[in-house]
Amino acid sequence: MALENNTDNHFEPKIIAFVCNWCTYLGADLAGTNRLEYPANIRIIRLPCTGRIDFNLIVKAFEVGADAVLVSGCHPGDCHYTAGNYHARRRWILFRELLNTLGIDTRRIHFSWISAAEGAKFQKFVTKIVEDTRALGPYTDYKQLMIDN
Amino acid sequence: MSQIISSEQLLSLIRELLPTKNVIAPVQTDNGQIYFQTLKESDSPLLTEAMKAVNTIKEFFFPRHEVLYTFVRHGNDVDVIDSVPMEKEQVIFGCRPCEAASLPILDPLFAWDYQDRFFQIRREKTTVVTLACREADEHCFCSSVGGSPDNTSGSDVMLYDLGNGSFEVRVLTDKGKSLFAGKTSSSQETGSVCDTPVQKFDVDAVQNWLKDNFKNPFWDEMTYRCVGCGVCTYICPTCHCFDIVDEGSFQKGQRVKNWDSCQSALFTLHASGHNPRETQGQRQRQRIMHKFSVYPEKFDRLLCTGCGNCTRQCRTSLGIRPLLEAIQKKTEEN
Amino acid sequence: MEKQLRETAKKLLQEGTVQVVIGYGRVETGGIGAIFVTNPDNADNLVWNQECSQNLVTYLTRKEIRKLGKAAIVVKACDARAVVVLKNESQLENNDVVVIGVACPGILNHRGSGDPVLQARCETCTERLPKNVDFVIGDESVNLPPLSVEQRSRKGNYAKLAKLMAMTQEERFRFWKDEFSRCIRCYACRQSCPLCYCNQCVVDKNRPVRIDTSATLKGNFAWNILRAFHLAGRCIGCGACSEACPAGIELDLLNLTLSQVSELEFHHFSGQEPGTAPLIGTYSEGDKEDFIQ
Repeated sequence: MALENNTDNHFEPKIIAFVCNWCTYLGADLAGTNRLEYPANIRIIRLPCTGRIDFNLIVKAFEVGADAVLVSGCHPGDCHYTAGNYHARRRWILFRELLNTLGIDTRRIHFSWISAAEGAKFQKFVTKIVEDTRALGPYTDYKQLMIDN
Repeated sequence: MSQIISSEQLLSLIRELLPTKNVIAPVQTDNGQIYFQTLKESDSPLLTEAMKAVNTIKEFFFPRHEVLYTFVRHGNDVDVIDSVPMEKEQVIFGCRPCEAASLPILDPLFAWDYQDRFFQIRREKTTVVTLACREADEHCFCSSVGGSPDNTSGSDVMLYDLGNGSFEVRVLTDKGKSLFAGKTSSSQETGSVCDTPVQKFDVDAVQNWLKDNFKNPFWDEMTYRCVGCGVCTYICPTCHCFDIVDEGSFQKGQRVKNWDSCQSALFTLHASGHNPRETQGQRQRQRIMHKFSVYPEKFDRLLCTGCGNCTRQCRTSLGIRPLLEAIQKKTEEN
Repeated sequence: MEKQLRETAKKLLQEGTVQVVIGYGRVETGGIGAIFVTNPDNADNLVWNQECSQNLVTYLTRKEIRKLGKAAIVVKACDARAVVVLKNESQLENNDVVVIGVACPGILNHRGSGDPVLQARCETCTERLPKNVDFVIGDESVNLPPLSVEQRSRKGNYAKLAKLMAMTQEERFRFWKDEFSRCIRCYACRQSCPLCYCNQCVVDKNRPVRIDTSATLKGNFAWNILRAFHLAGRCIGCGACSEACPAGIELDLLNLTLSQVSELEFHHFSGQEPGTAPLIGTYSEGDKEDFIQ
């Protein structure tokens, strides 16, 4: 809704969310069924588990113009596949450091554990990310790479 | 009677060209390397440093990444937008004769079964100002393949460093003439070049050996230490293999042409899974034969100018010359 | 030391313990390159000096070399760690290769003019006698007292990395944009790395294309991020990638970032202990999550 009303072309952040099917996706669904409104700036991509998330996907999200990325899954100990989120967590620790060294804006990458019962947490978290990203502005650095050959 | 130009005059000629043309010369980059680059206002060209350059002028005629066309979808329609190879004219300063010589060698290839306008337009629009060599190192072997420190093939102008802040200017073509018209003054000084590199091998003997030794274990034995990185092919002024791929999304994308290397393990991998050149020895053999057997058969010239870049950059000291010297030894043994 | 090395190699070949000794030698151009000695009489071609820069372990996973038979390989302390990682990753069995470790006083850089200087990676190396090898040539006199984390951060590549991290995020991004603009996607980094041994690298896959093969900033960033990340917890800091890169890109800094995190955060020192599980293939319930909401 927010984006269709963007008649004066002010900056509306585009957020891509990689979420796990069993927890965060259901949490988002719960937010929906409870009519908890959250900004439409977020595009949700459903994966079976956070363990499936290849760091390449995060890079690709920035390549296609995302201003921020959210990665979210089941709480440790609750993973539908037992340990997928543990493996993911370890990878995230390493990947954040690598991105930091490269000068990629790590303020624009968010990680969370949101369970299927936490519809409200999903709503609050997404709203906060959209506001924070709006304040940061568009992620021109990475977008510029796509243009500069 | 000769024509000369001082360094200052040459640099101011370059600066005059900058606003309207792409001017290319060796430049030192922040990390301390020398590169042929398109000059910006702030660059100081190093006209006499071509031998240390990590790249060659090949990329200004055959870029490492070139967009062939762009496509954009609108509903059921598609717009296909052809790329324009090069809008401006181009002038290259300070390359070596062995690099300039690669251009006439590549001309028949890009005018063979397909008129490659991307290459041809760049050739038409470029003036090459070569610097004759005052030094050679142990990797140079231009003389073994028909070249020399001031071979004029492919050049529009040949400069000779007089060693005193001036250059002798020998104009070779109309393009060169119009570039330097009115910029030079008469003089009695003439330039000289370094000694011609000692001959490292006899091309005829090597070519004869290649005909009969396709299956010789020499190829595997000599190339165990090659790791297949392909740097030799990328910094070679005559290597020209490329890969055409599509990039982008369903809505918008480009068809691009990128450099490729015959030394890469998957270069000849078939869709069936069979790879006719699955060992490095086979791949190295192919490179030598392409340059010294196949290309001469097709186009009547060697696909090598003896610049020595391959061995200079190879981390295991392989490259064309060591292989051909080893072949030369083999021909002498028999 | 060269004499002992040659004798060891000769004996291994004569007894038929190995069919080939992979070591350093003088090649046709006069420089140092890898040589593959199959005849015991040629064992005297092996040399050992401070120009022996290349990491030869990359040859152990090449099929052309495997065809030669069981190999003995000459390694420095850093290279020896690559063999341990290969064994930990089930790429080599203990009796697949005979490892000849040579005590290394550090490798010198001769490129360019001026006096040779110690390579950046050697400035912070204190354990210079190879561990986990079958033969040792040389002794502990080549070892230096260990450096504390703080001391190490002021030398070699660690100092360079510290300098990079002292820049602002935008400055760092500009730095890497400059570096990667020179990348020609030759994959010399991948080919010379002992731990990049995949038969078909993910960048070579095109159904679908995961990483653009074009040498554009987009493709170059994606490629270098990918390779660095695939080496997380595995890179042994031999510097072969930086050495091989024709464009002089500071790949050491990327790999060092992850190797530092691996050490400081997870106490994982790649290649030090045989039998260690890989860093990314395992997890701990205690892994930090202060950055996770």
